[in-house]
Amino acid sequence: MKKIMNKLLQLILVLLGITILVFSLLYLIPGDPAVTLLGQDATQEEINRFKEQMGLNDSYIDQLTRYIGGVIQGDLGKSYIQNESVVDIVLSTLPATLELAIVALIIALLIAIPIGILSAVKRATWIDYLGMIFAQIGVSMPVFWLGLLLILGFSIHLNILPSFGRGGSVFEALIKTITTGNLYYIFESLKYLILPALTLGLMSAAFITRMVRAAMLEVLQMDYVRTADAKGVSDSMIIIKHAFRNALIPIVTIIGLQFGNLLGGAIVTETIFAWPGVGRLIITAISQRDFTVVQGGVLVIAFLFAVINLIVDLLYTLINPRIRS
Amino acid sequence: MKGIEIKRILKNKSIVIGGTIVLLLILCAIFAPIISTHDPYEMNMNETLLKPGEQGHLLGTDQYGRDLLTRIIYGARVSLIVGISSVAISMIIGVTIGLIAGYYGGLIDAFFMRIVDIFLSFPVVLLAIALVAALGPGIENVIIAIGLVYWTNYARVVRGNVLSIKEEDFVQAAKTIGSSNFRIIFYNILPNTMSSIIVIATLGLGVAIVSEATLSFLGLGIEPPEASWGWTLAFGMKYIRETAHLSLYPGLAIIITVLGFNLLGDGIRDLTDNKLEKK
Amino acid sequence: MKDRIKLLFVICVVAVLAACSFSNPEESISSGDEGASYKNEIKVGLDVDATKLDPRLASDSSSKRVTEVVYNGLIRLNANLEAMPDLAESWENPDELTWIFNLRKDVKFHDGEELTAEDVKYTFDTILDPAFQSNSLALFSPITSVEVIDDYKVQFNLSQPYAPLLSYLEIGIVPKHLAEADSESLTTKPVGTGPYKFESWDKNNKIVLTANKEYWNGAPKTDKLVYFIIPDNSTRVASLESGDIDFIHSPLSASDVERMRGNKDFVTEEKEGVGYTYLNFNMKNDKTADLKVRQAISHLIDKETISKAIYRGMDKPAKSPLIPASWAYSDDVPDFEYSPEKAKELLKEAGYEDTNGDGIVEKNGVDLEIELSTHTEDPNRIQVVEYLQNELSKNGIKTSVTTTEWSTFSNNMMEGKYQVALLGWLNLFDPDRATYNQFHSSSGNNYGKYNNPKVDALLEEGRKTNDQAKRQEIYKEIATIVNEEVAYNVLLYQGYVVIHSKKLVGFESSPNGSFFNMVNVQVEN
Repeated sequence: MKKIMNKLLQLILVLLGITILVFSLLYLIPGDPAVTLLGQDATQEEINRFKEQMGLNDSYIDQLTRYIGGVIQGDLGKSYIQNESVVDIVLSTLPATLELAIVALIIALLIAIPIGILSAVKRATWIDYLGMIFAQIGVSMPVFWLGLLLILGFSIHLNILPSFGRGGSVFEALIKTITTGNLYYIFESLKYLILPALTLGLMSAAFITRMVRAAMLEVLQMDYVRTADAKGVSDSMIIIKHAFRNALIPIVTIIGLQFGNLLGGAIVTETIFAWPGVGRLIITAISQRDFTVVQGGVLVIAFLFAVINLIVDLLYTLINPRIRS
Repeated sequence: MKGIEIKRILKNKSIVIGGTIVLLLILCAIFAPIISTHDPYEMNMNETLLKPGEQGHLLGTDQYGRDLLTRIIYGARVSLIVGISSVAISMIIGVTIGLIAGYYGGLIDAFFMRIVDIFLSFPVVLLAIALVAALGPGIENVIIAIGLVYWTNYARVVRGNVLSIKEEDFVQAAKTIGSSNFRIIFYNILPNTMSSIIVIATLGLGVAIVSEATLSFLGLGIEPPEASWGWTLAFGMKYIRETAHLSLYPGLAIIITVLGFNLLGDGIRDLTDNKLEKK
Repeated sequence: MKDRIKLLFVICVVAVLAACSFSNPEESISSGDEGASYKNEIKVGLDVDATKLDPRLASDSSSKRVTEVVYNGLIRLNANLEAMPDLAESWENPDELTWIFNLRKDVKFHDGEELTAEDVKYTFDTILDPAFQSNSLALFSPITSVEVIDDYKVQFNLSQPYAPLLSYLEIGIVPKHLAEADSESLTTKPVGTGPYKFESWDKNNKIVLTANKEYWNGAPKTDKLVYFIIPDNSTRVASLESGDIDFIHSPLSASDVERMRGNKDFVTEEKEGVGYTYLNFNMKNDKTADLKVRQAISHLIDKETISKAIYRGMDKPAKSPLIPASWAYSDDVPDFEYSPEKAKELLKEAGYEDTNGDGIVEKNGVDLEIELSTHTEDPNRIQVVEYLQNELSKNGIKTSVTTTEWSTFSNNMMEGKYQVALLGWLNLFDPDRATYNQFHSSSGNNYGKYNNPKVDALLEEGRKTNDQAKRQEIYKEIATIVNEEVAYNVLLYQGYVVIHSKKLVGFESSPNGSFFNMVNVQVEN
């Protein structure tokens, strides 16, 4: 209990720090939302009037304290450009990002765990080398490059998957499919998700593969596995029963961290695939100088990241009973 | 003794392959004017977007009729400059903070670790984007932005190392003979964290090079006419439906380079890990 | 035991899947008269998300694409940018300072309320109120008051004769009863009189509009009009090719346009647009303040090559700030030809010569250094700047390039922090709009602080003259002077490109990119 309180206190401090950091950075960026909003014909006078009204001409300290004051009361302000509350805007884009990150993670795990285990078990054979080549290249590849190759292949040449946008919420589509028994809904929704999730997932798979392999190798060298080996238990049983369960602890940690990376990678992926998530929202907001939206988006992602880390911590204790006692 | 060391290094495939790639890259960068066949900046608007092999251009030409192979060779310079400079910035910041936090501990440690947490709890790509937007474009600012973003790894790892090293006898001994904190940190502790720092830095070079490409892709990178791979790639994508070579080869250059640094980094880590085990 | 459970599970899954159907429940087809069947929606790809869907506040192109089909203005511009009746059936000009508009009597807003002169007055009163922060305020500034004469007659009183007024009255008329009750609701939920009703706006994803079946000028032919937001130019084209959308238009990347010209499944229509791309010279900078230097740079610009190699003919080489789409266009305004020799001569006359043999010209030992800047959002402009950097450097001018995001760039322009900048002007429906703000010494958009009293006087005169032939003469003279003095060097006339699937029929493009003609569009199945 005390540990959780401590964590929460740290979380608040970190969020406060992020608020100040991002606010200061945005304060330093030249340009303001007036330029986007008033168009190219706007004169300096009009822009100044706008800034005056929006309080953008106030001192740094005034603006910062006002903003933090709002955040404490749960008010992230209003978008300069879209005339809507930042909370609403960010929350409306959040499901898309979560959906993308979760599906990408599932893809990553489906690829990484088998390859990682196999590479570790068949250490220093061509299977291992192939797996590691895959992992190394995956880690070295710029996300946007992979994304464009996939669009080129699947959307343009094969023309089987859409290259942009989102076909509605996957979760809602799933419920609709279950209630109506019509698979059309879920397929219609998933087909938009495949390419962006694959792009993001492959990148992540490369990281996780290496982690799984390393964790497995470590466990495989431990004594009890060797003992099991000596007892004549068949190979696959050893791997699954003993080694993998023990390797799970570092793997879960990595996955937690990886989820944060996925949220980051989502920024670029969302830009390529016009995926209407938080990442793209933030990128657009930066270029429009819609400061409150940038702040809000970053805060929500940071918060999410912190929550995931907390969950990972909890899982960690769950998987590893030794820590509990 | 030395002979055994070299043998051990040569037996490590990662180091050999990664090292060869990195060495080739450095040679490319240094001898760019000698090995390239064309002027990297000279445009020829009558020979734009030539396919590989056409009219004496081994890898074809770009949208201004410049020789792509030459641009890629010169691009190695840009990538190395960006990589090395930004890694140096990250390293100086990260190592300093790690040393101080680990050595002094207590409130100082807590303070710096919270800062690390702040940097770790949201996507660094975003931070880099915002930094370049604030600082303005150009190679120096891209370097600064990347450097300011990726220092946390050094800080965390160095801090961890310091925590264990500072309990060791030789540090305690230095304390009892009255060495200054500064001396202890830089003469006794720092050298013992070097191997971890080298590993992080080598891997960091790859990360920095990809970051530069990503920033360029988002329109926030190095200014033309510099021959940056990221820039060439980002613009090559505009022509990807006409010809893939303009985005394919710079992309491959990035992948191979990053692969080289990653392999080298992994190899060095294996080597130093083994050493530790033997101790 | 375990295997049996597994088997049972598999059977269950198969049973559930077998019970599922696979069909699109929403598929409904609206049939045409001749028996051909058409889709019930038009899918359009746009480059940016809208910002504010209130016509009085809409400043970006996507917001305009929404407001122009949801609302009607008093007039509508035709393909030659001439005013045609819309909400106003007719208008008269009793004297130079008075405009009277007679409104249609059968027009209803989407909520059923009738449109009257009060709504027109309200719309312009709010635009003219500085506190409302309409970006159209400057366009209408000569209006002193708007009077309601009766329900269907409204009078505009001006402070000075203002010829361009009519062409700006395309702006949508908003419902007073809704706007007064909640001034902000219209920015997200527009209610107009137009052929399409607003249905939903999924931020950064899509905007859905549905046909207004009671539209006074006949209901649109297709039930739904959906705008998808796809920021990347190439992705947008790819989406069109893969059939995810039916229609795209400028901005597009030149290489995509060139490729699509040859694709027989699609129609690529290219027209003169209503914008130009130009180099802006800062008169307050000691290097570019020198007319000879500006002229020398102008002689180093090969507009043909830029148009051909970078824009693939999509944008055409330009001669002056007067665009070909406008009635004010003149073909014979003198311009600078590409000639490095003449440039060299002019530089010499300005005192710049390469005396130390380093390939760079200098005056009193100081190199001639020029910084070219543009914004990062338009890759074509970046390429133009990169090309010019090479041209200028080759000819002895030490040139560097700076590209920044639009917000930063625009800020720098306003503050005069640039030397030579590449940018563009859009929506130049009237020659006044292509010149007054740009070259008048008192204008806020005259970034380079160009100042010529004669040009100022001509600009005022052009505004006040109602006779089109006379105005044409005046603008030709203005164009000639600003060309000679290189206030701008207009590089390209922006082309307007529409690409749509062969199955989409009935679209007529207009140079200002308006989607009003979507009312006649159908998409074959």
